[in-house]
Amino acid sequence: MTKRLLIILCALVLLTGCWDERQFKNVKLVLTMGFDEGEDGKIVETVSIPTINRASEGQSQERVQILSTEANTPLEARDFTDQSISESFDPGKLRVLVIGEELAKKNIYSVLDEFYRNPSNNLNAHLAIAKGKASEVLSYQNISDTRISEYISGLLEGAEASSHTTGENIQLICAELFEPGEDFSLPLLAVDEEKQSIKFSGMGLFHGNHYSGIDIPVGQATMYLLLQGYKGKSAHLTKKVSDKFEDERYNYVTVNVIKYKRKVDIKAEGDTVSTDINLKLRVRVVEYPADHLDKKSTIDELDKKLSETLTKDAEEIIGMMQEANSDIWGIGRQVRAYHPKVYEKLDWKETFPNMKITPKVDVEIVQHGIIY
Amino acid sequence: MGFMKRLFFGDHEKLKDRTIVDQAKEPEQPSSTKLADNVDYLTNEFNRTSDLRIRILEKGQAALMYLETLVDQEKLHEAIFSPIELGHVDDISKIPSSRVTKNLEEAIKALLKGHAIYIQDGSRHISQFNVTASFNRSTEEPQNEKIVRGSHDGFIENIMVNINLVRKRIENRDLTIKYFKVGKKTNNNMALLYLDGVTDPELVQEIEHRLKYISADMIHSPGYVEEFIEDQTFSPFPQMLNTERPDRVVANLIEGRVAIMNEGSPTTLIAPSTFFSFYQSSDDYNMRWFTGTFVRLIRLASFIIAVGMPAFYIAVVSFHFEVIPDELIMPVKQTINGIAYPPLIEALVMVVIIELIREAGIRLPQPIGQTIGIVGGLVIGDAVVKAGLVSNLMVIVVALTAIASFVVPSNEMSTTLRLLTFPLIFLAGTLGFIGITFGFMMILIHMTRLESFGVPYLSPVAPLRIKDLKDTFIRVPIYLMNERPKDSRAIQPGVVGPSREWKEVERSNNQQQPKQSIEEGKSTGSESGPNADS
Repeated sequence: MTKRLLIILCALVLLTGCWDERQFKNVKLVLTMGFDEGEDGKIVETVSIPTINRASEGQSQERVQILSTEANTPLEARDFTDQSISESFDPGKLRVLVIGEELAKKNIYSVLDEFYRNPSNNLNAHLAIAKGKASEVLSYQNISDTRISEYISGLLEGAEASSHTTGENIQLICAELFEPGEDFSLPLLAVDEEKQSIKFSGMGLFHGNHYSGIDIPVGQATMYLLLQGYKGKSAHLTKKVSDKFEDERYNYVTVNVIKYKRKVDIKAEGDTVSTDINLKLRVRVVEYPADHLDKKSTIDELDKKLSETLTKDAEEIIGMMQEANSDIWGIGRQVRAYHPKVYEKLDWKETFPNMKITPKVDVEIVQHGIIY
Repeated sequence: MGFMKRLFFGDHEKLKDRTIVDQAKEPEQPSSTKLADNVDYLTNEFNRTSDLRIRILEKGQAALMYLETLVDQEKLHEAIFSPIELGHVDDISKIPSSRVTKNLEEAIKALLKGHAIYIQDGSRHISQFNVTASFNRSTEEPQNEKIVRGSHDGFIENIMVNINLVRKRIENRDLTIKYFKVGKKTNNNMALLYLDGVTDPELVQEIEHRLKYISADMIHSPGYVEEFIEDQTFSPFPQMLNTERPDRVVANLIEGRVAIMNEGSPTTLIAPSTFFSFYQSSDDYNMRWFTGTFVRLIRLASFIIAVGMPAFYIAVVSFHFEVIPDELIMPVKQTINGIAYPPLIEALVMVVIIELIREAGIRLPQPIGQTIGIVGGLVIGDAVVKAGLVSNLMVIVVALTAIASFVVPSNEMSTTLRLLTFPLIFLAGTLGFIGITFGFMMILIHMTRLESFGVPYLSPVAPLRIKDLKDTFIRVPIYLMNERPKDSRAIQPGVVGPSREWKEVERSNNQQQPKQSIEEGKSTGSESGPNADS
């Protein structure tokens, strides 16, 4: 009996073993992937594949191969790509997924579907929209980092730390893709030919599963994120607060948000929904050459001025969101949850762009740095 | 019958020389009054061995016999000839230090022990003199169990010296020693040590019972005894602790365990032992308890590293490379790209090489052993990577595993760990993380099932006894280990009484005395500190 069991066990392990083995040394890692709209409803998949050769001594050589393939679906494109590379294609360690503007404007879910289905995919990968074509971003050669994946993911992580983007990845937008009462935004990347770099250029607003084409510019992105209730490691706001000085730089103040309090008040009566958003910012002045911050009057004045300017900014941002019909804050979901009867009567897609959203930003300077 | 006899005639046996050993019926061969018959019998029994010396004394009327290879000539002279030369006695048979017997079989035993016997014609009495030569090395610290602080002596090959080392440390009448004779041909001495009143008598009985079943021509080391009496021989885990340290033996005896010693080997067996006792070292108790705990935790972590590390690496690079952090992915890929063999083979090759180096190093004399270590470790390690046979990472992993396996204070457990690596490597190479999970599960199941003399191997973790965890993962201060752990089966629980009560006393004194001094200050007008009036 024991002998038979032993034989069975050995057979089980040795015969079926290595069944789903995936040798790490035998895969071609795809770290960056891009999708563009092709001709006749096809898509173009661009991948950058780094190949490292083992060097017995000293620096090893790394070469990056960039391939573009046109196919009907992302997986078909992957199969085509696989045919032109050595070893096998594996997106298990994908770090950046870039989607071209044109394709994003149609629908991004068709591209992402495969990523949600296959468990070996890296749902942690950064997601970004390319201004223009994704292939342009991926094949951009003049970069300081060795790999485009490192460059773009570093860029996006930096933008996330400075409160310019929310750090979305494939997993995080999943719920919002399917949820009708809530939308999302993705960071935009553009190739800056003049400065020879890839540049973060704001947040692209989405409606449902497609890109609306309306962007929050980089200058407004921090405020946009604060309104959304998101702050990275630091959040700098630079605003003009006076016209008094001849030296232009004296007219500006830069503050870093230390703490914020956000309160969204949704009122639903009959078939009208209105929202008040109150944002209280406690800030530290990090740059203000005009100084005199030791006086209470200066501080009060600055508080007031900043509150006004930022409220105006907030209004602008809300205007853009409504224009894009992008319900980033999930107001629709809240209405659906707390006022289901009102929600039933409304077509949220129609309501959101026209609803009344009143922002109020309250700034309080609490620190002014170590000089005064 | 015996009762009546004792009542009427007294117990004569009490007056006889004896050692307290339960011995089975001894064969008897009564001596003859004829000297020649006795000598003939003895020489025949010894097959006319050349080292049996027969010295004819008193003009052929008497004979002194001894095995010259076992006898110390000086002692012989001192015990037998000097009393006569000095005129204390006029006949060798009257020297008081002799033991007398009439049994020739006993005389044979005495001769084998290194005694000299003196037989006179016309008398059936055989006088035995203890003139054994013993060659002992000094009680040096054992090479395989060195510690930094604490006692630096170790057991040697002489069982008497070993027991002496233990008795010196436990000056207590309850320390009981039972001798056994084992090995049908070799007839070795074996001793069972325990602390009466602390050790479970059932445990002692059980071990005696098992020891009596041993029937083999030779018992030449504790390893033999271990395999005869342990509960599960088909287990990679040692179920008895091997040690050459007297302090370790003493500590275990006090905890209520039993020690088994063998003549001719410095290794002592301790039973019952649990998994955690293999991770305790005398050093732990000489350190501050924080450091002791830290070191203990490091050692237990080494178990996981030693057993699971190569398996984990193999599983990662051949099944689940998604778990490698993003920043490491390219460096890892770089090292393993272009390696011809799958990681499974790679790991096996490396682990076997490490074992080869280790094994080669042990046997060779010290200077050559070091060379082997350097050649094996540095040269082969470097060349193998450069040649592209094995990846850099695999060398790191295997080296780390080897180091981790040597962390265990017990050599037995260390070899077990290195052995357990292999099945896990296979499982990881065929089934990935699932294989490792199954492997560890099987090991765990096996360990929970294992028993060492009635004590669960994983106690006090399984079955859980929180009180006894004081000396497993952590090492609490000694005065808090006030009870003996249950896994020693001790019948007397308390081991440390309230020992730090002085602190309480001090505190209460400090609280009371200032009041007194104030009162005194009022009455006498002088201020006296708490120390002044005590």
